[in-house]
Amino acid sequence: MDYFLDRREDAVIVAVHGRVDEASWESFGAGLSEAIQQAQQSGLGDVIIDLQKLDYMSSRGLRVLTVAKRQGQEASVTISLASPNEVMREILAISRYDKLFTITETIEIRR
Amino acid sequence: MLVRFWGTRGSLPVAPTAMAIRHKIANALVAADGRRFENSADAERFVDRELSFAAGSHYGGATSCVELEAGNGSYFICDMGSGLRSFGLDSMRRNAAGHKKTYNFFLSHLHWDHIMGFPFFAPSFDPEATIRIHAAHPDAEQALRRQQEEISFPVPFDWLRANIEFEQLTPGKSHEVDGVRIETKLQQHSHDSYGYRFTDADGRAVIYSTDSEHKLDKMDVEAAFIEFFRNADLVVFDTMYSLAESVSMKEDWGHSSNMVAVDLCHEAGAKKLALFHHEPTYEDEDIQRMHEESIRYEELTREGSPLEVICSYDGLEVRV
Repeated sequence: MDYFLDRREDAVIVAVHGRVDEASWESFGAGLSEAIQQAQQSGLGDVIIDLQKLDYMSSRGLRVLTVAKRQGQEASVTISLASPNEVMREILAISRYDKLFTITETIEIRR
Repeated sequence: MLVRFWGTRGSLPVAPTAMAIRHKIANALVAADGRRFENSADAERFVDRELSFAAGSHYGGATSCVELEAGNGSYFICDMGSGLRSFGLDSMRRNAAGHKKTYNFFLSHLHWDHIMGFPFFAPSFDPEATIRIHAAHPDAEQALRRQQEEISFPVPFDWLRANIEFEQLTPGKSHEVDGVRIETKLQQHSHDSYGYRFTDADGRAVIYSTDSEHKLDKMDVEAAFIEFFRNADLVVFDTMYSLAESVSMKEDWGHSSNMVAVDLCHEAGAKKLALFHHEPTYEDEDIQRMHEESIRYEELTREGSPLEVICSYDGLEVRV
């Protein structure tokens, strides 16, 4: 799993590649914490996680998303998900995380 | 080892309403589309082959009770939910055919849905029966006596005629009971719960892990569960909620999800997962959908050998 941070004018984008699973959830969590911190320091209210190139995310990765959402709430930063591929769309539906997070078709589309 | 599910519902016994049965019959008649059946067996073949489980059957509504046929002839039973009543009657039929009247119970915890069947357990009135109640909770006897106090039940515990013994289990320590090795693991649940690993003389291993929450902030301790489940032939796992429910509205309610079940079983190299402790508000269609989604999630995340995902129902028998 790799992640890439991009601080834009309106949000910090976290692009995640590969698999988020039992081997990589801690690193993924660290990446999200870093993104929230960057957003907070830059006065940005949004972190958008780009799921387009994610192979899959296990329950550990999804639970890390929940932890990040709570960290974000404390820092007044909203976490949203963008560009889920077909596999991630299924996983978000099976987990019902599509009810917990705002999901947009692309990283350009804001809530 | 044979595993027989007598009660698979979580929290509260439920039963289908008259309208729910009518709905199933009406839909089955529509699906049959006017065809004739020679007899009941012919009609049941149609149900088996052409209707989904939810359309042609029912997952059941009795609370947790799972029997293991293992060891050297005594009974092994996990929990005393309302499914215990049916098991008790069935065991008396088997006793009449010569089965040993020794009952080894293993309690996950003492919440009401896991002990409510004991006052209706007919063999407890048999003076020739021995009932050994194994529990890691030191207050197991108090819980069973309390639910038969006059304010709750007309028959006091002391009126029971069987020889009833309480055996204290120690988590982390291996116990031998009538030819079966039992290991006990502390789980996250209100007033604690315990998971069990049963290993028979052939090395077949069955895990009973219900009412166990795998918390967001304790993912680093899940390695211990993976070891506990390692290479198990069957894992019976609490899949009461969706993952989203278990980390939001129902966090700290002490239950887990189908996705955490699949992930832990994958990591442990378990062979078969039984979804268990079904949410009482779920209709059959909801449970079936959860089962189908669990199978799909297993496919999407599989890296090694396939994990067979089955959905427990009252009356299911699984041989491992």
